[in-house]
Formats: sequence, structure tokens, C-alpha cells
Amino acid sequence: MSLSEFDDRPTKKRRFFVEESPIIDRFIPTDAHALPSPTPDATSGTQDCESNAHLYPAEVRNNREQAFDSEMLASIVGETISQDIVKRLRELSGNDLQQAINIYLDGTWKNTINEVQSVTAPQQPVTSFSFRRKASSPPKEPCTTRRESSSVAPVPVKLRSMPKDRYIGAFGVAGWATRSGSGLVKHAEKVNIERTKTKSFTRLGKGGTVRNTSNKRQDIIVRFTNSNGEEVGRFENESSAWISALLDQKVCRLEGSVVFAPDRMRTNDTIYLQLRCYLLRSAFDALAFVKPEENNRHTGLFEAKESEDERNLRLRQVALVRLFEEINLQPSQANSMTVKNQRQGILKAAEVEDQKEQNAAQSKKQDNSGTSSPPSDDAEDGEELEQDQLDSLYKKAQSFDFNTPEAEPAKTFAMSLRKYQKQALHWMMRKEKDEKQEHKERSMHPLWEEYNWPTKDVDGEDLPEVIDQPQFYVNPYSGEMSLEFPVQEQNCLGGILADEMGLGKTIEMLSLIHSHTSRVEIDAESLLDASVNNLPRLPKNFSSVERAPRTTLVVAPMSLLAQWQSEAEKASKPGTLKVMVYYGSDKIANIRNLCCEANAATAPNVIITSYGVILSEFNQVAANNGNRGTHGGLFSVEYFRVILDEAHNIKNRQSKTAKACYEIRAKHRWVLTGTPIVNRLEDLFSLVRFLKVEPWSNFSFWKTFITVPFESKDFIRALDVVQTVLEPLVLRRTKDMKTPDGEALVPLPPRKIQIDHIQFSEAEKDVYDYIFTRAKRTFNANVEAGTVMKSFTTIFAQILRLRQSCCHPTLTRNKDIVADEEDAAAAADVANGLADDMDLQSLIARFTTDEEEQDANRYGVHVLEQIQDERANECSLCFEEPMDEQAVTGCWHSACKQCLLDYIEHQREKGESPRCFNCREPINARDVFEVVRHDPHPDDEVGGLTSSGSPTPRISLRRVGTTSSAKVSTLLSHLKRIRRGEPQAKSVVFSQFTSFLDLLGPALSRDRIEFVRFDGSLNQKQRTAVLTEFAESKKGLVLLLSLRAGGVGLNLTCANRVFMMDPWWSFAVESQAIDRVHRMGQEKEVTVHRFIVEGSIEEKMLKVQERKKFIASSLGMMSEEEKKVQRIEDIKELLS
Amino acid sequence: MALPKRIIKETERLMAEPVPGISAVPHEDNLRYFDVKIHGPSQSPYEGGVFKLELFLPDDYPMTPPKIRFLTKIYHPNIDKLGRICLDVLKSNWSPALQIRTILLSIQALLGAPNPDDPLANDVAQDWKTDEKAAIQTARDWTSKYAAPE
Repeated sequence: MSLSEFDDRPTKKRRFFVEESPIIDRFIPTDAHALPSPTPDATSGTQDCESNAHLYPAEVRNNREQAFDSEMLASIVGETISQDIVKRLRELSGNDLQQAINIYLDGTWKNTINEVQSVTAPQQPVTSFSFRRKASSPPKEPCTTRRESSSVAPVPVKLRSMPKDRYIGAFGVAGWATRSGSGLVKHAEKVNIERTKTKSFTRLGKGGTVRNTSNKRQDIIVRFTNSNGEEVGRFENESSAWISALLDQKVCRLEGSVVFAPDRMRTNDTIYLQLRCYLLRSAFDALAFVKPEENNRHTGLFEAKESEDERNLRLRQVALVRLFEEINLQPSQANSMTVKNQRQGILKAAEVEDQKEQNAAQSKKQDNSGTSSPPSDDAEDGEELEQDQLDSLYKKAQSFDFNTPEAEPAKTFAMSLRKYQKQALHWMMRKEKDEKQEHKERSMHPLWEEYNWPTKDVDGEDLPEVIDQPQFYVNPYSGEMSLEFPVQEQNCLGGILADEMGLGKTIEMLSLIHSHTSRVEIDAESLLDASVNNLPRLPKNFSSVERAPRTTLVVAPMSLLAQWQSEAEKASKPGTLKVMVYYGSDKIANIRNLCCEANAATAPNVIITSYGVILSEFNQVAANNGNRGTHGGLFSVEYFRVILDEAHNIKNRQSKTAKACYEIRAKHRWVLTGTPIVNRLEDLFSLVRFLKVEPWSNFSFWKTFITVPFESKDFIRALDVVQTVLEPLVLRRTKDMKTPDGEALVPLPPRKIQIDHIQFSEAEKDVYDYIFTRAKRTFNANVEAGTVMKSFTTIFAQILRLRQSCCHPTLTRNKDIVADEEDAAAAADVANGLADDMDLQSLIARFTTDEEEQDANRYGVHVLEQIQDERANECSLCFEEPMDEQAVTGCWHSACKQCLLDYIEHQREKGESPRCFNCREPINARDVFEVVRHDPHPDDEVGGLTSSGSPTPRISLRRVGTTSSAKVSTLLSHLKRIRRGEPQAKSVVFSQFTSFLDLLGPALSRDRIEFVRFDGSLNQKQRTAVLTEFAESKKGLVLLLSLRAGGVGLNLTCANRVFMMDPWWSFAVESQAIDRVHRMGQEKEVTVHRFIVEGSIEEKMLKVQERKKFIASSLGMMSEEEKKVQRIEDIKELLS
Repeated sequence: MALPKRIIKETERLMAEPVPGISAVPHEDNLRYFDVKIHGPSQSPYEGGVFKLELFLPDDYPMTPPKIRFLTKIYHPNIDKLGRICLDVLKSNWSPALQIRTILLSIQALLGAPNPDDPLANDVAQDWKTDEKAAIQTARDWTSKYAAPE
């Protein structure tokens, strides 16, 4: 083919958007050197191979040593070259074939023909290889390096690796003239595309200040200049918006040529250009410059920079999507789930951001919703879900197939699992072992799309190929690009175990810990670390992190640490599981050393820690420049498995705790929570992000498919997507679930709740009535004055007093006064020779030694001795034997306490003065004494020896009714009955008033009822100690528990008696407290006594509870105003 | 109303260890209602007679005493024509510590020791005071006439 033939080729036959000339380098500043302006005709000859040509040098360089060979030249260039030209090339190149090819291909040789311009070749990057090798002149670099291949390996025809840039497609774009004049540009003339803008301007290729430019959000202008370097015009705003992003972020290089321009141009005239687009290699391999921090651990710990990077990513992402749309490039392979409407989705998401931004100057640019503020505003991200939406969401997630296969736990697991728990185990093991299949299939990462490199350019001409690189890959959600196959990372070998509270999530998890342990040998995971699609938050420098292949890390709220530990030990055959609690001062120095592979044999199998520890170590690591390894703490190893218990603790993805948790390294990641979504869809995102579930852990993706549709009221679509997210990830069963045969999932032993109607004593009633009247007066006065809401706290305080007085009148009173009164009463007793609390032994001693009293008290001594000897005595009133809570009168006749009190009451009602049932002596109701038999106690030395030689149990006589309230004495008689009937039974006593617990404590110790106490004032160690003591005690034991501290989380299945001393406003809270005892692991029937004082505010509270239950479902619908009204109604009810 | 444990126990004991000369059998359809037979104490005008009584335990027994009366006609200053008995432990001196057994023993004792100074049947008491021998004879006559063992 000769040049003349080219010349003859009629231009009009060419396609409209044909690029007429090889673009030399539009990034070379026009003043840098006088670029020859090749005529269209002249250049057209080389055009076919132009794009090929610059891909060839690798091979060319190899031939450098060979003699100048015109055939070689021709074969490389791919066309016949006339001898003249060869000769000239030879001259110009100094007999260097490689240079000659270069010169030929870039067309500069023509300059020497046509213009005989004194081109100083060495300074011309286009012609100088030696110069190029220095690669020192930045403005010229793109041009020169374009012609260079980084690879040196000889490959005959095809390129071995990606060249500096590679053709991807062409598209048309419109611009405006910024100048007037004639003949500024003509059809088919090449133009340089420039991102030249005033102050922080930098041209492509310089890199350093690019980001500065993009930060000034006004500057999106893309200009183009003609071959003389004169600015001709600029792109339309709409297109320059994304084109500027591509250029600024060095994604691609553009070659422009004029398609149409008016001959006499005036400012603002429209110019049509065709742009050929070349993706730069740096865009594939140098992601670091876009988001450098994501690639190293250190900066990953700091979020401050994220905003800028996220924004840049967003720009890039949108621009790429637009580009592919413009050049009409379709993915050859993409995830089927994402492909539908995907581009539209991304663009729409961007638009939504724009609207939020309300900054018209900038389009599709910002990721964060605030105009200029950093991303901290995300705390309130997302709208709240309405109750019914939440319900429908769960409904699907809960569809549980009862026929799913089961798995048997490993032999080292010491507990037996229920059927559904075995199913959970199977499910979890399947999730964890999923990796193997993925290794085989190498399925594509779901976020990425595969594109074929075009093999023909826009004119239908062949393009050079690169060996083994027919495709490239783009992540349209992050804007990342890759030449390597993006492997679906095995990053979600875990899931969300969302079984409802009480179904035994902990046990299920422990069975997994036992049943799926790692084979210590290293699998292929490390290969994957190298893959490009490590997510932003996945740091890459694995070097400093040791693998801990034997260890599972459990992160739980502080109050549950002890429970995890004891459950873990209970669930394991002795010696099969090493458990370590990593908390507070128990933290050992170096987890890294302890758990690393070398120590696999001795490494703890389970490390239990709290969210607080995670957070504080996270901060330490962050302060230490993100150096995990040297810290030696929790972050210094990659666990086999990590489990977040009560994972709604990280529901806010912006919270530090959540971010800290994301950074925990583990092969298998699990979250346990009863409520995967608390009230926002974003709650779920945080879990998904922790799990690193692709693609959903990418917030941009999440936003595109969930947040945006949801916020634009496309609920069905959003919830549908959420369901698809949840389905493979979540296992959730509820307690209400029934097996197909209609059986409950968890056949818990029955639970019997009974209300004990307590009657006030007269004294209590007086106190109560007084407080009640006062509260009612206050309320009525406020109603009249219309100030109910204002004085709400006052009224509420009085209601609180009322409730307290139901428990014990003393609670409502000033402690000093109470103490004074007690002193006075005690003084009176001393005069009578009686006391509230008398030791039997000393009483007998007194009677028998005191000569004067001996006679009078002979019977008394007899009775007391009988009591002491525990001679079987039947109550002469009810014939109960032995007596139920034996009591004695002042004349030492004994009967059941209740019988005695009933009889006294009976006589009073008849108007008689009470007399002893036995001797008919008048008796004083105050002088009725309970016989309190204390359990033999090791430190008892008071008791003497009975005839049989066994130690006498210590016995005391205590005046009835003075020191306790109706509730206290009811509780005591319950507990004593339990102690008699089932000495092993353990009881839990709930009260919401710790001050009431203060009173109960002494009352219990007086009756020698052993108890422990758990309330909010205990620190972690004490809590553990209390719970352990309660669980492990072989005797019956009572746990006094504050409703607030013990209402959630605890496992108290060792007890089976519950006493609710006072009602709470909603039964749900009480019910949850009861569920501490009545939950998985409970084997006995649970009896619950709710103490309600008859005719008191407590009865009315029950009514309020009832109503609350009824309106609970519609609670979300109530406005603030309605709620207020409701509250006033409640108070009215209470004080009626 | 369920029968209190005490009544059950008392009944059981009356059956298991009956007091000599006294029997008390509850009705099958009403366990609070007893048929009582008391043998007249020896060396009393009522010796040889078997006296039938009815005994009823009220709801609030043992807070209140049992109701009890003679069905057999008896000539006794403390027992009236209707069979009602004047006995302090059945009235003001009742104590829940007393039982059916003790009450019946008291009644038996009352037969052996009539107390005309605290009469219920005034005419009988008068006779007793004016002519004790004749009164005792009448009592014997009534006993053989009305209280002959079957």
C-alpha cells in the first residue's frame, strides 16, 4: 500500500465520527514544542495502525540490536512502506529501527518532509527513545510513555501486558466556542483536551494537585485547544462534569477530533467533537492514589479523610458509568442480581445526593449528604421503619423450613442440642465451609462487571490485543477498575444468627465452636489477599497480623462476659475447650504470641471480651499508627472466628465501636442478635458491613439499592431487596414458632404466673391512704389549674411514693425518724422483759435461773424447751403438724402464726378482747412472737447441746408484724415454705426499688434465709462472683435482683421460683425479667408470684398494663400530643 | 367449700381412737354433720343409757364452737327440752384449741355432774334443788324410757 493510495481515499466516505488523525499528545502544552500539524491526508495513511503502533514498542525494543531491516519495519508497522520513506526514517532515526518505527508511527517524519522544520529530535519526546527512558519531563510523559510498554519480555505480535493506555471507545460530545475567528479548527482536526483552570490547575499527568482542583467544586471546565495550542472552546457543562472527573482522576486519556465546526466561528457557537477514549493503565493498578488510605492499615483507622475519598470515588464512579453509557460498552459478564437497572440506580443515587446538596453548580459529585460538612452527619442516616414494615420484613426472614438438615455436634460438646439447634449448627457449618466451592469456581465478585476490550476501534479497524487480557473489570459501585479477575472473596463465611432471645443462640454458637475447627494448615486464603478487590476497609498489610487459627473471639456486653464463660465451660467436656476472658486487669500481655499458629496447641479456643475493650484497644492501635502487630492485643491476630453477641451494639455504622468491630480480623464472622434491625434499615447495614458481605457491605451499593428507593418511598422495592439480603445471611426462629406437628419449638417447662393479693396491715393502710390522698389532691389541683403536664414530675414522684408504700411504708419515710421510733419501741420492750428479737436459749436461761420468776414461768420454760427440742407439736387450731411458722403468745402458748393472728382478729371482730386460745389469758396482739429457727450455721456457738448430743439449732423469738410489711412477710413465708418443701430450690426476687432490696436483705438474714444480691452498683467482678455463687450453690439460695440491672441478658435458669415484688408500668418488662428464669435450659416448672397489694395503686397499674398491651402495636402511630393525653389518662386512672 | 384439714384430722382421730363411751360419725353427705352417741356415765342417773346427739361444725369452726344438741330426751338441769346444752366451753369459753372430742367429753362429764346452779331447764333445776333424790330418779326413769340401748 502506498501513501498515494491513502491520499486518494475520499474523505467523505469515512464515517462521521471518525478520528482523522493520530493524536499526538494533547497534554503537551502547546508551547512546549511546535507540534507539526499533519494534514489529514498525510496522516490518514498511518491511521489504521496508529492505535496499534504505540502498543508495539516492547517487541520493537528487542529488535533494537538487529540491523535496520525495512521488512521488519513493515511487518511491525503492518503496512508496506515505500523505500523513500524507509530511507528517510532511517536517516532520522540514526539507523535505529525502533526509533524509526516510532518516528514513522507518530508521523513526525512528515515534518521533515513537508516543513523541513528543525526539529531537535532529542527534545522531542515523540521521537526520542532515550529521552523517553529518562521519563523525566512530566508534561511530555503521557505522550512518550504511551508508546512504551513496561514489559520487556519478547512477544511477537501481541502485547504481554497492558500498555500505558488502551483504547476503550469513542463518543461524540458538544462544545462551545470560546473565541471568535475563522479557521480556528476545521473538520477532522485534532484538538487537545485540557483540564486547564486557573489557580490550582494541573494538567493531567502531574497528579499532585489534582485533588485540590476537584475540591474546588466549581471547576469542572474542560477546554480544548487546536493544534496551535490556541484555546478554541470548552465542553458543555453536562458532559464536562464527568469528563473532568475522569481526567482529574487519571482514569483515561482523551483524543479529540473535530467533527464539525463553523468556518467563521463566533463565541458560543457549537462545535462537535469526537473523543476517543483510552483507559490509562495507572487507573487499573494505581488505585492507591485515589484512595491511598484504604490500602494501609494505618489510615484505615481514621475516618476523617474518608469524606474526601468517598467523594472522589463517587465522582469517579459516576463518571465511569457515564462513560460506558456514552461509548455504549456493555458488560460481558455481571452479577445477575445487580445488572438490572444498575446504571440507572447508580445515577439515580447520585441525583438524590445532588438534590440533598442543593448546590446546582456541581452535579453528581458528592457522596455525603451535607453540603460541605464531613461525614459525621450520618448518625441519623436513614428513615425509621414503621412497625408494620418491620413486621413484614421479619416475616420473610423468619420463614424457617423445619425440614432442614441437622448436624450433630462434635463429641467434645457436652450438652445435648434440640432439633432446631442442630439445624442451626448445620446451617452455620454450611456457611462456614462455603469457602471450598468458591475456591473451585472462582466466581466473580458480585460487585464487579466484566468488559471486553474492544477489538475494533470506532472505524472498524483492528486494535492490538494484549495476551491474556481480553477483558477488564469495573466496579461501578466504587469506581474501581481492574485487569485481574475479581474473585468473589470468601469474606462472608458467617452470618447473622437472629434467633429470638431464649432459643439458645449462645449454645448454638458454642456447638459450632466445637464442631467446626480449623485445620491448622494454611489454605489458599493467602492467595486471595492479593486480589485487587479487597474492600476499602480491608487493610492489606497482613505482615503485622498473625493468624490465630484455633481461636474464636467473642465480643459481648460486659454483663454477659461471665455468662459466656460459664456456658462455654458447661458446654464442653472437661479439657476440650480453653476459654479465656479478656477483660480489665485479667488482660494478658500478648494475644499475638498466645494465639499464633506456632502455639496452636496451647492457644485459647475462645477469647471472651467486651465491646469496651475492643473500642479501647482500637483507639490504642489507632494512636500507634495502626500498627496492630506491635500492640499485641486483640487486633494483632486474625481469628478463626469472631462472634459479636448482642450485635445491635454496633447498629450505628458511624459509631466508634462499630468501626472498631469492623477492624477485627477473622475468617468467619458471626453476629448474634435478637433484633437485626432495631428501627432503621441502616442498622442492618452495619451488621452486613461487619460481616463483609459482598456486595452489600459497600455503602454506595447499599445506598443505591436500599436507602434511595426507601427514602423515595419505594418501600416495596427496598424491603424486597433487604429480604434478599437477609435471606441467605440470617437464621431466625422465634419462640412462637410451631413445628409442623404444632409443637412449640422449645418445649419449655410450664410457667405459672399467679398474682398474690396482699392485704395491708392497718398501719400500712394508714400510711398508704395518707399518701394517696395527698397525691390525689395535688393532681386534682393541677387539673383545675391546667398545669398537669408542667407538674408532671411532682405528680409522678408522688405516685412513686405510693408504689413504694405498697412495698414497705418505711421506704417513703425519712430514715432518721424511722430509726428514732424504733429506738422508742425497743425501750418499752426492755421494761416488759420482752423484745422484738429474743434468743431462746438465753430466755430459758433467764427463766430457770431467776428464782422469783421460776414459778410463774414454769410452763413457759416447758414450752420453750419443747420448742427448742423441736418436739413435734401440732397447732391446736388447725392441727397442722409441725406448725406452720410457729408463733408463741406472751403466755407461751404456741400455734401457727397465721392461726394465732386469725383468732386474735376473730375475737376483735366480735368485740371481745383477745385472749389466749389455750389459757384464756388476755393477750396483747403485739406480744405474739414468731419462732425463728435458724439453719445450723458453722459460726453458731450460741446453741448448747441437747440430750442427743447434737448441737441445738439457734432459735429466736421475734415479735410478729413490727419489722416487716405485708409484702415482706408474705415473701418470707413463701421462702420459708420453699425452704421446708424443697430445700434445694432457688428463688429470684425482683424489685425495681433497690431501697426495698435494702430492707429485704436484713429481713432474710433475720430468718436465716441465705441470699445474694445483684444490682447496678456491682462491678464486673462482683457480678460474676454473685452469679457464679448463685448458680453453683448446692443449697437453696435467694437472689435479690434489681429489675433494671437484671432485666436483660442474664441467665438464671438454675432458679425456678420468681417473686415480682412490685409491678412495672408495662408487663413486657416484667415478662422479660421472668424470662431470665424461664428460658432455654430451664428444666423445672417455673412459679411466678406477682405481689399486688389489694385496693392499691398496684391493682390499677395492672389495668394500665393491660391497656398498654393493647395499644403497643399502634404505639408508633401516636403523636406526641396523643401520648401526653394518654399519660394524663393513665394518671387519672391510677388516682381514681 | 373444701373441708379444712383440721376437721378431716379430727374425724380421722375420732374413728381411729374412739373415746370410750362416745361415738361420733359424720354424715356421708355432709362431713360437718355428726351423729353422736354418748353413754351415760356410770354412777350417774344416766348410766346404762345411750344418748343421741347431733353435732354440726359451722363454717368458721374452729374459730366458733360447734353446734351441738341432744336428740334423745334427757332429764338434766343444764339441758333443755329442745336438747340444747348449757356448757361454758360451747359458748363464751370456747377456744379453738378445743375439739369435738374434748367437747363431747365435757358433755359426758356434764351428765355425771349436773349443775343446777347454772340451769338451762329451769323446772328441772328447781326439782333438782328441792328434791334431788326424786330428780335423780326421774332422770333414771327417762334414761331407761328414752335412752335404752338398741
